[in-house]
Amino acid sequence: MSRDKTKLLYAETHEWVDISEESGKKIATVGISGFAIEQLNDLVYMDLPEVGRTVAAGEEFGEVESVKAVSPLYSPVSGEVIDVHSDLPDNLEGINDDPYDFGWIVKIRVDDDSSLASLLDYGTYEKQCAEAG
Amino acid sequence: MRARLLPLTAGSASWNMAADQAIIESVEHSSVPTLRFYGWTEPTLSLGYFQHYESRNQHPASSQATCVRRSTGGGAILHDHELTYCLVVPMAASATRQRQDLYRHMHTTIADVLAELGVTARAYRLEAQGGGDRSAFLCFQRRTDEDLVVSGYKILGSAQRRSRHAVLQHGSLLLRASAYAPELPGISDLTASHVEPAELVKPIAQGLGQRLDLVWTSGRLSEQERLRGHQIEAERFGNSVWNRRR
Repeated sequence: MSRDKTKLLYAETHEWVDISEESGKKIATVGISGFAIEQLNDLVYMDLPEVGRTVAAGEEFGEVESVKAVSPLYSPVSGEVIDVHSDLPDNLEGINDDPYDFGWIVKIRVDDDSSLASLLDYGTYEKQCAEAG
Repeated sequence: MRARLLPLTAGSASWNMAADQAIIESVEHSSVPTLRFYGWTEPTLSLGYFQHYESRNQHPASSQATCVRRSTGGGAILHDHELTYCLVVPMAASATRQRQDLYRHMHTTIADVLAELGVTARAYRLEAQGGGDRSAFLCFQRRTDEDLVVSGYKILGSAQRRSRHAVLQHGSLLLRASAYAPELPGISDLTASHVEPAELVKPIAQGLGQRLDLVWTSGRLSEQERLRGHQIEAERFGNSVWNRRR
C-alpha cells in the first residue's frame, strides 16, 4: 500500500508524518518530503537514531548530507523511537524515487499528542514550499 | 541589514572549527550575519563531517598533518596556504533554495575579486565538464557546480552546516600548493599572480555585502561565544574520540 502524500502531516522543517494506531497508541512514521528531497538534490549520507531513544518534538534525531551540506533531521513528534529503516543509509538513491514509502526513516510511539498540533496539513505545507521558492 | 565582520586571524584546527560552531549557535539567537576569515597555525587535514577517519590513510602525503573533523559536509581539505572563510547567516530550515544560493553568492563574489587581481576563475558549471571524481577523498579533487576553477583545477570549494534558524558556510581558497597535498595547485601555481590573504578580505566582504545587502561592522567574538567555543573545542573538535567517531 502506498502512502498518499496529501493525507500526511508535515513539519515546517520538511519531515512528513503518517499517524497510525497500535494497541491504542499513536505511531508516527516519519520521512523527508518529496519537495525537500528534490531541493536537497542528492543525498549521500544519513545518520539514524537508535531504537529506544526518546525524542522530543523539534529535537534532532538524525543528520543527512547532500551537496556538501549537513542538515539535521528534526523529530516532528515526542515519543520513543521503536523502529528505524536501517537499510536506508546504504540505499539513499531509493529515497529520491519513493520518499513516502521506501523513504520512511523512523517510527516513533507518540507519548504526547499535543506535539501533533503544530504539524501542517498537506495544503498548508505545499503553500510553505511554494513561498520558499 | 547590519552584519558583523571578524578580523583575519590564524587558529588551531580545533579552535577554528569550534569558533565557527559557537558563531552559528550565537547567530541562531542574534540573527546577525557574521563573516570571518582565518588561517591555520599548522597544516591541517579536515575531514568532511561524514568521512571515515581511516580514509585519511588514502592520502599518505598528509599523514603527518593534524587532523580534525569539520561540522560541514564534502571531502577532506588540506589547509595550509589558503584563505578560509566562515559565513553564517540567519535562515529558516525550510529555506532550502536560499541556502543553496549562498554558494553562488560567495563564489561569484570571490571570482569578481580575483578578476580585479588579474586571475580568471570560473564556476565549474560554466566549464567544459569533467576532471572531477565525486567520491574522491580530497574535496579539491571533487567538483560541484559552484566550485571555482582555474585552468581546470579547483581553487575554491565550500560546504555547509544547517541549523534550525541559520546556515554556516565554510570555504577554502587555495593560494598555493602545500607539501602535504602537492597534487593540488593554488592560484600562484596556476597563474602569474601572488595573492595574499590580507588583500582579499576587504574586497570579498564588500562584494558580498553588496550582493546580500549587508552592512558590515567590525567586531570580535563575544565573551559568550569565546567561552562556548572553548567548551565545544573540548567536547568535539579537540576530542580525539569525537574526531574518530566514524
